[in-house]
Amino acid sequence: MNTADFLNLLVAAVLLAGVYAAMSVGMTIIYGVLKIVNLAHAGFLMLGAYFVYELYTRANIDPLLGVILAFPVFFLIGVAVYWLLVRRIPRSDQPTLSSLLLLFGLWLVLQNLGYLIWGNGDHAILTPRTFSTFQIGPIIFPTVRLVVFGAAVASLACLEFALHRTWFGRAIRALMQNSDAGRIAGVHVDRTAQVAFGIGIAFAGAAGGLLAMMYSFTPDFGGSFLLRAFVIIVLGGLESFAGVAVGALILALVETFSILLIPSGYQPAISFSLLVLALVILPDGVAGLWKKRQRLA
Amino acid sequence: MTHLSSKRSFRLCARSLNFLLVAICFFTIAGCGKGGNSGNEIRVGVVMPITGREAKPGQYQREGIELAIKQINDAGGIMVKEKGKKLRVKEVFYDDASDQAKSAGLVERAMTTDEVTAVIGGYSTALGEAESVMPDRYQTPWITPGAAAAHIFSRDYTYTFGTLSSTDLLGYTTGEFLGSLTDAGKLKKDLAVALALENTDHGVEYGEGIQRWIQEHPGYFRVVFSEKFDLGGTDFSGLLQKVKASKADIFLADAHLQDYITMERQYIQSGMYHQMISYGARGPDQDARKALGDATNYIFAGLWWSKKLPYPQVKKFDADYQAFAGHEPDSYYPAPAYDAMRALAMAIEQAGTLNKTAIRDALKNVELKDSLMPGQVLRFGKMGQVELPFVIVQNKPDDKSDIVYPKDAATGEAVAPKPRK
Repeated sequence: MNTADFLNLLVAAVLLAGVYAAMSVGMTIIYGVLKIVNLAHAGFLMLGAYFVYELYTRANIDPLLGVILAFPVFFLIGVAVYWLLVRRIPRSDQPTLSSLLLLFGLWLVLQNLGYLIWGNGDHAILTPRTFSTFQIGPIIFPTVRLVVFGAAVASLACLEFALHRTWFGRAIRALMQNSDAGRIAGVHVDRTAQVAFGIGIAFAGAAGGLLAMMYSFTPDFGGSFLLRAFVIIVLGGLESFAGVAVGALILALVETFSILLIPSGYQPAISFSLLVLALVILPDGVAGLWKKRQRLA
Repeated sequence: MTHLSSKRSFRLCARSLNFLLVAICFFTIAGCGKGGNSGNEIRVGVVMPITGREAKPGQYQREGIELAIKQINDAGGIMVKEKGKKLRVKEVFYDDASDQAKSAGLVERAMTTDEVTAVIGGYSTALGEAESVMPDRYQTPWITPGAAAAHIFSRDYTYTFGTLSSTDLLGYTTGEFLGSLTDAGKLKKDLAVALALENTDHGVEYGEGIQRWIQEHPGYFRVVFSEKFDLGGTDFSGLLQKVKASKADIFLADAHLQDYITMERQYIQSGMYHQMISYGARGPDQDARKALGDATNYIFAGLWWSKKLPYPQVKKFDADYQAFAGHEPDSYYPAPAYDAMRALAMAIEQAGTLNKTAIRDALKNVELKDSLMPGQVLRFGKMGQVELPFVIVQNKPDDKSDIVYPKDAATGEAVAPKPRK
């Protein structure tokens, strides 16, 4: 493999990391505030993909604009789901069986709803952007992947800004760090949790829209991304957004470059191995390592 | 006292009546579930994926089976000598959701609880493989119209039948087709071939078939790269980069529909080019052409069936299918399923009984002389799998496609090498 091939692979891995980060961040917000693992995440990824697809095919709305529109729509869906279902789950510092079962059930309902509405065929978004590329020296940049990467980075930056510069963002962070202390400091736990759930679902829907620009999808879509999202948030630390970005980059780099050494048929084993390694060696993820280093300093 | 005891006995009576009613309801419902074949119908189990990864092909196969059942029933049913009359066919359908464990469980349920005469099921090698352990266990004939790996039929099972030729033969025919292009001077000799195969028996056997042809015909092609990939992958950039680095002239992959779409998108985005490109049995699928547009042009596929086959029964089937399902048959999917049901009906009629072993024996000798499949005669081989030829189809611009091999069935010329733009 020459330098050009290596650089092309590196670019592919970094662009893939952007996609992975975008699809994982919603899960991290929800886990951080509510301490529940959102198994319905894949269902909202799927709905996001169809939302952008419908806007594109029916109203000729550019998929990128569709992704932006997905944010408020899926935020409202998330708030409604919280109000209808999630707030009834008993609060706990650990994910409970009831929350896992409820959200798994919700995923199945969403999947079947998808089959009812869109049938079982493969859908895809084909725009002039889909196959266009541009080249800098020997490196080829697929436009659609670059757009998806840019959108993912921009949405993560907005989230980071909102979490650090707004009162509401601080309230979310307070609940992620210590919900009891947050309550004492005057944070309205239920309202904050409801909005945090809405934001998590908004990110899932938007990420689904971004994925729809790259992949074909059916109502079954999202399952294979769910495992990767788990790996990323465990790698990054369950409650850290910067950690999510690092986790996504690690997974994308390892998945892409390991294929050079081992047959690509073992690619899923890489994700599982990383998950096991992270749980054994870095149970608090990369974010835990930073915190440790800061404490020692 | 008397008043109290009469009240108690009334309550007892009411309770007993309630219990009796519940029991009657229970047994009625349980009875509804079974029914067996003793009445005026022949129950046929159909286990197909209409949700999940294989939903679309599964749906087409289900429609093929249901069309055959409808036509059989419209003609009065299947003549069963033992009963002295024609019996209608009743489908017992289950969706396995493209899940192997569920698929095997549902076939078991159809064969035991539902007491079906036979089961038609298993689209895709993986699902068919899971189902294939049940027929001999419950001594119920099973025909798969969607699992092609020869491996399934090499275990000395006796109740297992398949209407698709083996994927090894698909690979071999692909080699033959490429060889014919070399003989015609369209491709040069000694071209380098890269193989990317899905990590299933389907993919492995496809690769083996190609390698076998290349070994038997030295000087035509050489394999410079061969690697397996996992089904349902989200990123093929690493694999494609390795294919690129191998500097192959021909790229042959074996992939299912979603992987075909994802891989071809990344293939184009990586700026890759090969003189010939194939994704095994995928190519003219409508969903792929919608998802990939012009990028599917000149991709060729080895298919078990094509609606372009120049047989009158194929034309009739095409029209009947469109009227029944409301859409055209996509790729090869519905035809082997339609023929599986017709072969089963013929076997039941020839057996003259609903005895499953007798039907199994009849299936071994069945000869469907107006088959839709290439060659027009469907008969099961020694191991239960048909040995029918393949057709090679090549996509052309404007959503067109042609049979380009074998010559006697060709509807157009093969374009080789593939134009760069």
